Amino acid sequence: MAHVSSSNVFIRKLQNISDLTQSDIAVLESIPLQKREYRANQDLVREGDRPTHSFVVLDGMVGSTKLTGEGKRQITSFFVPGDLPDLHGLHLSVMDCTFSPLTSARLGFMRHDALRAICNQHASISTVFWRSTLIDAAIYREWVTNVGRRDGYTRMAHILCELIVRLRSVGRIEDHVAELPITQSALGDALGLSAVHVNRLLQELRRDGLISTVGSRFHAVDWTGLVRAGDFQATYLHQRTEQA
Amino acid sequence: MARYFFDSGDRYDVMKDEIGVECNGIEDARRAGIEGLMDLTREFLRDVDGQQLFVEIRDESGDKLAKLTLSLQTQPVIKDLGRSHYAKPNPSKRNMAGR
Repeated sequence: MAHVSSSNVFIRKLQNISDLTQSDIAVLESIPLQKREYRANQDLVREGDRPTHSFVVLDGMVGSTKLTGEGKRQITSFFVPGDLPDLHGLHLSVMDCTFSPLTSARLGFMRHDALRAICNQHASISTVFWRSTLIDAAIYREWVTNVGRRDGYTRMAHILCELIVRLRSVGRIEDHVAELPITQSALGDALGLSAVHVNRLLQELRRDGLISTVGSRFHAVDWTGLVRAGDFQATYLHQRTEQA
Repeated sequence: MARYFFDSGDRYDVMKDEIGVECNGIEDARRAGIEGLMDLTREFLRDVDGQQLFVEIRDESGDKLAKLTLSLQTQPVIKDLGRSHYAKPNPSKRNMAGR
């Protein structure tokens, strides 16, 4: 497996979305990371918090989540290794969503004052961070469309395609086989669907020969078919090269 | 927590649940079944008179615990000329059997 070492995974992610120079990479490598391990569903940043750090996902998966007044959870986006989910916290002081690990996860925390100093000194780093948050916003737009307007089958196929492309682009999976230990209920919260329907949809995709699953191991056996079923075009991920 | 199985579909196409969903007892399973039926309805209910959608709950030993069924009854609207303005049932391209 082309496993990228954890500290480099966010540099690889930023390389996927922009043209970094050697000196940009050296600057990014110099950012001190305070590494911490989390269990699934242990909130790491809560809505209303005023964080002093931003984090990078080193291992595992994180979701940005919102709760409705009656306590229903919507997962508004997934974040995979290399992603910087709360980089917006650098400019928006009060968190407007909660970040929770959806699997056990390892995260690297970076001090806001250190990031600000780097952005002030290096316009190119500032630009790449800006670009990263813009792409996060593009992903949110795609998710609104997905959850609001696509039927459940397409919605599920779409989200699986997105995860595969994103995990492949940082070298975490090969051959469209992914270890995805996300629960059905987390998938339901991401898709706005009940656990029973998520369960049905996974079995429909399996019956149609698009995916196979063994435990939490998930294989897109017919990638072209899954892309078609998911109405999926990777444009909104704005990667420099199409990896899938 | 126990695993419950939720077969679902209509009279033409039944998806037998081979994976199951963890629920906290039969009441929780029933709630999950209703939510599943609501999603099923949103996706599969068509303008077909008499269409019936269901979710059937089984436990791990295969015993059937409950069947939740929802059916559509339509009545033709008779206008002045005595014609029904209801179109003939037109099975959608995304019906349950044929996607």
